[in-house]
Amino acid sequence: MQTIALIGNPNSGKTTLFNALTGTSAYVGNWPGVTVEKKEGMVGGHTILDLPGIYSLSPYSPEEKLSRRYILDEHPDLIIDVIDATNLERSLYLTTQLAELGRPLLLVLNMEDLLEKEGIKIDTKRLSQMTGSPVVTVSASKGTGIDTLKQAIGQSLEEKHAALCPLFSNVVERYILHIIEDDYLHAIPKERQRRWAAIKLIEEDELFLSSMPPLPEAFSTYLAQVRTELVAHYDDDPEAIIIDQRYKVAEQIAKDCQIRKQKAKSFNFDSIATNRIAAIPLFILIMGAVFYLSIGLVGGYTTPILENLFGYLGQQIVTLSDSLGVYPLLSGILVDGITSGVGAVLSFVPQLFVLFLLLSILEDCGYMARIAFIMDRMMRTLGLSGKSIIPLVIGTGCSVPAIMSSRTIEHQKQRELTVIVTPFIPCGAKMPVFALMLTYFFPGQWYIAPLIYLLGIAAVIVTGLLARAIDKHKETNAFILELPRYQLPTVKNVWLQTKERTLGFIQKAGTIILLSSVIIYLLSSYSFTLQAVDAEASMLAILGRIIAPLFAPLGFGFWQASVALLTGIAAKETIVSTLSVTVGTANLGSFFNPASALSFMTFILLASPCIAAISAMFRELGSKRKLLYALLWQTGFAYVSALLVHYIVLLCI
Amino acid sequence: MQMTMDELTVGQRGAVKAIHAPKQLKRRLMDMGFTKGVAIEVVKLAPMGDPIEVSVRGYHLCLRRAEARKIELR
Repeated sequence: MQTIALIGNPNSGKTTLFNALTGTSAYVGNWPGVTVEKKEGMVGGHTILDLPGIYSLSPYSPEEKLSRRYILDEHPDLIIDVIDATNLERSLYLTTQLAELGRPLLLVLNMEDLLEKEGIKIDTKRLSQMTGSPVVTVSASKGTGIDTLKQAIGQSLEEKHAALCPLFSNVVERYILHIIEDDYLHAIPKERQRRWAAIKLIEEDELFLSSMPPLPEAFSTYLAQVRTELVAHYDDDPEAIIIDQRYKVAEQIAKDCQIRKQKAKSFNFDSIATNRIAAIPLFILIMGAVFYLSIGLVGGYTTPILENLFGYLGQQIVTLSDSLGVYPLLSGILVDGITSGVGAVLSFVPQLFVLFLLLSILEDCGYMARIAFIMDRMMRTLGLSGKSIIPLVIGTGCSVPAIMSSRTIEHQKQRELTVIVTPFIPCGAKMPVFALMLTYFFPGQWYIAPLIYLLGIAAVIVTGLLARAIDKHKETNAFILELPRYQLPTVKNVWLQTKERTLGFIQKAGTIILLSSVIIYLLSSYSFTLQAVDAEASMLAILGRIIAPLFAPLGFGFWQASVALLTGIAAKETIVSTLSVTVGTANLGSFFNPASALSFMTFILLASPCIAAISAMFRELGSKRKLLYALLWQTGFAYVSALLVHYIVLLCI
Repeated sequence: MQMTMDELTVGQRGAVKAIHAPKQLKRRLMDMGFTKGVAIEVVKLAPMGDPIEVSVRGYHLCLRRAEARKIELR
């Protein structure tokens, strides 16, 4: 078994190709940086790895470091360089670096189907001659050329020809040859990598130098002399000279192999999407439409139907078990535990399905990068980057992928701040909680639901402003982002992603929520001496009363609410199932009033997220101390906000 | 007279002469294709005039004015 690495520029379609080759369904989107961790699969009996996209082997962000480290240290048996065929020149720049690693290289020209539309023709035979590597044309999204690619992979793995290195100008080549001959580089085992090492020595690549034994003094002096001479000759620093040389090679190859016709400019969506006046209102409108369609329209219609259905089902089970004389404990678990608990959560499947569907269309069409572009200026005043908006939008579906997508933000402080504020945006799982409270206490008051989202956004803004105020350095970093082509979302991609997210939600209902419903039912029906008792004397009530006083100032200092909040740590939907088991959705009014209902929702909106999101936060923050601060901030912020909401509403009523 | 990329208005073209930026940012910009002599065109400005969208080597990318100011044109 051999190892194959898929590498290429961000958004060149590596993951789509990975899915086409392995028959799996990893997550794909249309903005640079969707893949932030490596993924493994099998093709033709070999391991294949999908790595985060990079523009160059010099890394800037954590996920790019992962790709570089893998490619340099793990010596894959074959490197597949995935090239966006409509973006040949810049892709070949990375190719010139990959070719020097001494591994077999296979070039895959992806997005073949777009070439004609873009007015581009590529001579693949010539490309193969000039690069010295086999070239295969595919369209990963349409699934064409995949069989040819599989054959080419097999052949490359068998032949094991190391790729040919690109040649630079005579001046640079002369120095490279001299350096290669030095004894110092003979310590490096493989012939081809010596050239790569020589180039790294000219560039003074720090990561490379730290991995090598110290330079002998004479050699070090010689290298310094080489650099001085190069600088004098090219009037630029050595690193820039090498980049320039690589791009010259890429330009030459692109010039010889591709014909680009000028496209006629036609009307496009982008002229509105990034229009100076219309862009931000349009963004708000689009997000508003997403929520209106999913929560308002579909949710408003299907949720009551499903709730009634589960209610009816519960009654049927009661009647059936009574007539069969089923043991009351069992029928209790079935009806008050499972049917009401799980049912309360499952009623939200249709609207979440629509929400996930619309979000994945947004992600697939290329609009996300534009949102980052139009919102960057605003986000900067909050100490965030335009790229922070992508996690916030994805966070309306689920915080876990949202937190992970923050990894493309290069600047560490901005990245960490994004991770901390992302959970403030209410995810799909919090929706059932809000819907439950809103339909009971504020029927017909449609404006409260958007207010919840605005409150989440306000929490992001306040946190951002505060973080910026206490940050003494006020450093700003670079914001450089590729704007990908718009594309029609493919049915396959959108469907795969929507299905996966919806099934994930249903799966949670069938596992965590099912289990916790049963446990909550049992704990709320029995005392510590295992006597069947009234809920008020149950184990759960006694446990809940320990922490309940904490929440008394917020207006919900009764044990049912405390227990619901605790179970919410497992998954936020559990709050609904716990409340429906302990309180009963029809009795909410005897526990909450409008003021405490609002403060309860505020607390849930802002307090620390579910365990899955907490562990995603931990992964991205990378330290327990930072995680602890983040959770304390979120929960503290939630407590104070809920307190304010409670008293403001009490005063107003 | 030195001209930098942030001085271009929408639709104007130029060619890169030099990048005056700290090592890492310079490397980043060059990796994205801003090397000496390359042709660029400012395509669009974001709603508040910053960042700007630039076309280079046949693709589009956006960067802030602060970064564009570090790219000298000829």
